[in-house]
Amino acid sequence: MNLHLTTSSLARLSAAPILPLWILALLLAAGVAAAILQYRSIRGRLGERKAIVLSLMRLSLFCMLLLFMLNISVTTRKEHATVPSIVILLDTSPSMNLPGSKDGTRLDEAKQVLLKRLLASLTQTYDIRLYGLGDTLRELGKEEVPTLKPENKRVNVIEALKKLEGRASLAVLLSDGTVKPPDSSGSLSNGSLSKSLPVLTIPAGDPAAYRDILVSAAKAPTVAFMGRQVTIDATIANRGYANVTIPVLLKDGARLVTAKSVHFTKSGESLSVSFSFTPGETGNHMMSVSTPLQADESITSNNIANLSMKVLRDKTRILFVSGTPSPNYRFMRMALKNDPSVDLLSFVILRTPSNVINVPLQEQSLIPFPVDTLFSEELKGFDLLIFDNLPLHVYLNQNHLESIKDFVGSGGAFALIGGPNMSDGGRIASTPLNEILPVAFAKEPDYSRSARSVRVTTAGSVHPVTRLSVDKALNLRLWSEMPPLDGVNDLNVRRSGMALLESTSSPPHPVLTVGSYGKGRVMALATDFSWKWGTGMVAQGGDNSAYLRFIERAVRWLTKDPALNPITMTLPERPEEGEDAEIKVKIAEDERLTFSVFGPEGIKLPSQVKSGGAPGEYIGSFRPERKGTYRLRAETGTGSLEELLVAGGRMEKLDGAPDHEFLSSISAATGGKVVRAEDDLVSEIRPYMEKAKKRYVEEKEVPLWSLPYAVAFVVAWLTAEWFLRRRWGLA
Amino acid sequence: MISRRTLLRMGLVCLGGFFSGSPGRALAGAFPQFYIAQVRYRGGQWDPNPQFTDAITNELELRTSIDASRERRTVSLADPELFSCPFLYMAGKYEFDPWTAKEREILRRYLTFGGFLLAEDVMGVKGFGFDAAFRREMRQVFPGRELQKLPPDHSVFQSFYLVNIIGGRQKINAYLEGIVIDNWTPVIYSQNDLAGAWSRDRSGKWLNECVPGGEAQRLAAFKTGVNIIVYSLTSDYKKDLVHHPFIKRRQNL
Repeated sequence: MNLHLTTSSLARLSAAPILPLWILALLLAAGVAAAILQYRSIRGRLGERKAIVLSLMRLSLFCMLLLFMLNISVTTRKEHATVPSIVILLDTSPSMNLPGSKDGTRLDEAKQVLLKRLLASLTQTYDIRLYGLGDTLRELGKEEVPTLKPENKRVNVIEALKKLEGRASLAVLLSDGTVKPPDSSGSLSNGSLSKSLPVLTIPAGDPAAYRDILVSAAKAPTVAFMGRQVTIDATIANRGYANVTIPVLLKDGARLVTAKSVHFTKSGESLSVSFSFTPGETGNHMMSVSTPLQADESITSNNIANLSMKVLRDKTRILFVSGTPSPNYRFMRMALKNDPSVDLLSFVILRTPSNVINVPLQEQSLIPFPVDTLFSEELKGFDLLIFDNLPLHVYLNQNHLESIKDFVGSGGAFALIGGPNMSDGGRIASTPLNEILPVAFAKEPDYSRSARSVRVTTAGSVHPVTRLSVDKALNLRLWSEMPPLDGVNDLNVRRSGMALLESTSSPPHPVLTVGSYGKGRVMALATDFSWKWGTGMVAQGGDNSAYLRFIERAVRWLTKDPALNPITMTLPERPEEGEDAEIKVKIAEDERLTFSVFGPEGIKLPSQVKSGGAPGEYIGSFRPERKGTYRLRAETGTGSLEELLVAGGRMEKLDGAPDHEFLSSISAATGGKVVRAEDDLVSEIRPYMEKAKKRYVEEKEVPLWSLPYAVAFVVAWLTAEWFLRRRWGLA
Repeated sequence: MISRRTLLRMGLVCLGGFFSGSPGRALAGAFPQFYIAQVRYRGGQWDPNPQFTDAITNELELRTSIDASRERRTVSLADPELFSCPFLYMAGKYEFDPWTAKEREILRRYLTFGGFLLAEDVMGVKGFGFDAAFRREMRQVFPGRELQKLPPDHSVFQSFYLVNIIGGRQKINAYLEGIVIDNWTPVIYSQNDLAGAWSRDRSGKWLNECVPGGEAQRLAAFKTGVNIIVYSLTSDYKKDLVHHPFIKRRQNL
């Protein structure tokens, strides 16, 4: 509210004696008597005229002292009158970019009313403050209005009006009415707005001309499990159509999963639709619920809602094929069975074609090895394939091996465990498996039985598979205490591989090597004596937990179990286009982070990384310039993590139907009214402003003796009296 | 997704290819993966059948894919090498000296963390001699766990052959006993003297007669032995669902 001084002051004096008045009267009498006595005593020496002057001066000083004791103040009065303020709120939310009732957008329509009708006529008379209702409640300069554009979000208009209460006498809201809070049903609850700030609403847009079908809500679990049904719920809203049937499509990427239809009998209806979906593949799935475009739709981009869903396996399915019964098989099997998250299917070759069976079929427990079915048809149902000392050429043909290569290339995991048959007598080099392995066999025969100790390589000291303890030093000590292996295969690491464990012999040979092929991961463990890492530690007085942990972590790493990944990303809820997105990234403390963002077309985008405060914590940020799916990649020396982030469009899920009823309810709740743009707006506003005009008086009291010139006068008077006395020969 | 039953049926179809494949060269013959380590102990008679390994090793190589060593190693319970031996064999006729607390603790740790022990009472007298001493020691090693009869559907009777007769040099028990921990039986105990049935001299002549069943009983002893060894190397592999329909069908043949 602005203040104008309308009437200047009237002054009056007032006294507040510090001593009772009768004492002051006595003092005055005593002063007069003293002045008379002084006059008589000095009249003889100075003459009558000078004696009178000095005595009167002394008496006047005494009187001044008495005046001081009376504590006299001067009071001034000023009368003020208020000039009422008006706040004008201009809706700049995304829906204001939609066509108005005439030419141009709803915002153009509102700006025209504001500039030509309101500001021109009201500024002279009233104090006007202008606010934009977009991303936030923002004060605008008048010069900003012509170039104002719709923003990305809708501020809560109720909160905005509450914030302005007490700052103005009247609010004028230019809006299409879509600014209601997201959970509002369209009517205001009692007491949500007060009558201290009446709101005149000027509606924009034409509800009768608006046509739209929108996916107003879509909900899916962010994490789902492969093979387990999930439900995706969506709400489809109809604005402006009657008696129509609309197909609703659920898609996984570009693939249509299922479709349903909803029937609207009248405009304004919202109908729910539920889809059941059983994810068949792990990974990040970009789901969408959409409806086909209808004729004359006002918004076409809200017919789709994108959802991201991460599909995991509830159990890790492992196919374990061992060339022979062995301690290595048994200990590894027991370790895998020890993990409740593993679903193990194992085959052990109990007899080879050269073995002779001496009993009829009914006395044998042997079952055929369904090699063709497993490797031609069923392999893709597994997460991890383990070959343990398996002579490949005896059981698998070229097609099976090709199928294994494809399995790994498309995301499956493969582990080759050592032993005399690891390389199948060198034949593996001429099979498709050779292409996916991170190692090459050094010589033929590649296997030897001599005790060899292992040590962790630099990469192995931080790699999830060999990092058995969070404490780096403890981890190194743990591996150094492992008993030597009695048999190893001599291998060479390929460029695609990374050795995590190597023999302590000279030159060292890789014992555990990891790598990747296509989308899958591969591991080569060049020994059939890894079980001694379990029993050997027991022999030293410990337990077999290190061995069990090693097997568990190897499986988890190979199958890309997110729980093992030392990198985690926390994504923002759902950023909108043009809005900065911040991603929290957590990595191991001793690692360095590389953060990259790829846009919907796969092109790398600018991004920033800053420290998140704690060691190993970072904040990556970027700005999605348009709606779509963005691929985020965090990479360290030992691993990487990719996540998908969906950036929504401004118009996505936007219900742009002008809601003039909501504007009416605001006006009604605040004691205002709805006025049309073509009405005489100044006349409509005037009564509110007259009612709001107020006057008040301001009084100001100043003590006389606090004025500096009063004190200066007393000092000057004293000095003059002293000067005259000296000059006329008195001491 | 096809059912497991269908998958296995389809697997049968490809069995022909599996068996007709050329064996090629000998597979990993130079590096035996399995050997028997026999426990030496104080008192009694720890080695009643010194020549039992040759025939059972031969049987393993002839019938199974296991590459077994003919070498027999001997270890004491205090030997640090004990934990490197995946298969322990212990036999005796007479009562032996009680083990020390340390020896019992070592054996308990060995068996708890994946080791395996086949023990045999060669004399075959219940509650006497080796039987009494072994049961006494097992009660000390695993307090609260008694040797119990292994049920006919135990994995050890299905690991290679479908065994329903326990062979041996003598026929004291029609069953095997064992100590079961979770799904694993780290101790199997026989009183039929399996190793006595396996023993032969350098010329290949059997050293002991099998009574009362003769050579059929010896054959059953080899089948039992092969199954115990395969069990020690595969644990409850035959309990996997994939084996169930086959084993059931054959048992009903």
